[in-house]
Amino acid sequence: MNDVVFSVRNLVKEFPSRDGAAPLRVLKGLDLVVRRNEFICILGPSGCGKSTFLNILSGLDPRYSGEIDVGGRKFKAGKPPLRIGYLFQEPRLLPWLTAEQNVDFAMRSCRIPASRWTALKDRHFHLTRLDAFRGHYPHQMSGGMCQRLALVRALCVEPDVLLMDEPFSGLDELTARRLRVDLLDIWRDTGKTIIFVTHNSYEASFLSDRILMMSQGEVQQEIPIDVARPRDYDDPEIFEINRRVVKLFLEVAQAAAPATP
Amino acid sequence: MMIRLVSIAAAIALWWLLSLAFTASVLPGPWLTLQTLVENIAAGNVLIHLWMTLVRVTAGLALALLIGVPIGVLMGLYRQVERALDLWVMVGLTVPSLCYALVCFIWLGLNEAATIVAIGITAAPSIAINLWEGVKNIDTRLVAMARVFEARRWTVFRRVVLPQVLPYVMASVRFGLGIIWKIAVLVELIGRPNGVGFQLFYWYQLADMPQVLAWTLLFTIVMLIIELAILKPIEHRLFSWRPRVEL
Repeated sequence: MNDVVFSVRNLVKEFPSRDGAAPLRVLKGLDLVVRRNEFICILGPSGCGKSTFLNILSGLDPRYSGEIDVGGRKFKAGKPPLRIGYLFQEPRLLPWLTAEQNVDFAMRSCRIPASRWTALKDRHFHLTRLDAFRGHYPHQMSGGMCQRLALVRALCVEPDVLLMDEPFSGLDELTARRLRVDLLDIWRDTGKTIIFVTHNSYEASFLSDRILMMSQGEVQQEIPIDVARPRDYDDPEIFEINRRVVKLFLEVAQAAAPATP
Repeated sequence: MMIRLVSIAAAIALWWLLSLAFTASVLPGPWLTLQTLVENIAAGNVLIHLWMTLVRVTAGLALALLIGVPIGVLMGLYRQVERALDLWVMVGLTVPSLCYALVCFIWLGLNEAATIVAIGITAAPSIAINLWEGVKNIDTRLVAMARVFEARRWTVFRRVVLPQVLPYVMASVRFGLGIIWKIAVLVELIGRPNGVGFQLFYWYQLADMPQVLAWTLLFTIVMLIIELAILKPIEHRLFSWRPRVEL
């Protein structure tokens, strides 16, 4: 079991409600095992607790109950024992720094030895085809380029796990599609463990090794995706899987909320 | 630049035209005013007064920032501080600067310290309000980003929060300077034996209009120089990363 990166048992997260009513339960006993080099997609509708879950894994939110083991060790609230690379829904770049300085900021914060900076930056700027834009400010770059830069930043801190929170949902479909293909190439080249949150079933079917379908604060279904890699974005097999995933998705959603039309 | 020169020339021309309609004891023309100013400078009594005013303005601004920035930042960061102080900041803003000056002179005596305290306290509320707004506008998503990348508290403050607050500090300095010039002159008028305000009041009592305007002109020129030669370049350096707004 040495290759287990995260092991989550019975994770519960509640938000206190204002008017003294019962607290809002966002995560109701989540169980999940993530193995090294795995690409996992968590698929679920808005408000199902996906982002809350990533906030806990990243150490941003220390208030929860349940158990999280990391590589066999207990997860200390607020301080994950492993390095996290995080890709947010928006690029979240510091606008007063150039592309390269933004990456430097993250590497300095994570205390990456300066001797490795050049090699790391060269490699990841190259992987994302941003070599020519190192000196540009974020406002001089397109949305897709900014998100690629955020990916460079996440990779340059040498993360054990990449957490991605709907990173392509704010982009136009063509750009998003290109980035998905790029992401798989980068994943193959770097061998990172990725937990990718999305509400886009095709994205999940194309990218992941398995899909965890989440609804009502629980994992409702686990769907392995056994399509060989490297994958083709227009592979009919993926279309077929996506069709099944959407069907399941609808069933899960209806079971969760039978009253709403 | 061209437009600016033309607008200055137009203003001077207008002044000159208006001055033709009045006697010099009511509205002296630009030439007479300039002559008076040059004579004052040649007589050697300008520099000491100007210097005293500048010292008071600088010290007053420093004090106003020292009081206003921490209060504004704390109000932006903590709701309890905001609730406790927002009323008082508003009160502080409403009280006329004359009241602060009188109270300070009565309590602290007719001295430099009282002058500077009066200036600082008058300007502090508006600076606090500016910073309060600024801190409330901080992008907390960037703070969360820095925390995910393991940035220490101090790093988050210095490299993520401060750059976002800096434009508001800069605006406070400019804005504060504008208020403080005016307060300084008023305070000098009521309680100081020197400074530009003292000179203005002195010549006003003698009903010497060319002198009053000469001192006003001097004051305006010095203020413009400070704005253009010091503040603008600093601002340009600090915020050169910002895209220009084009409409």
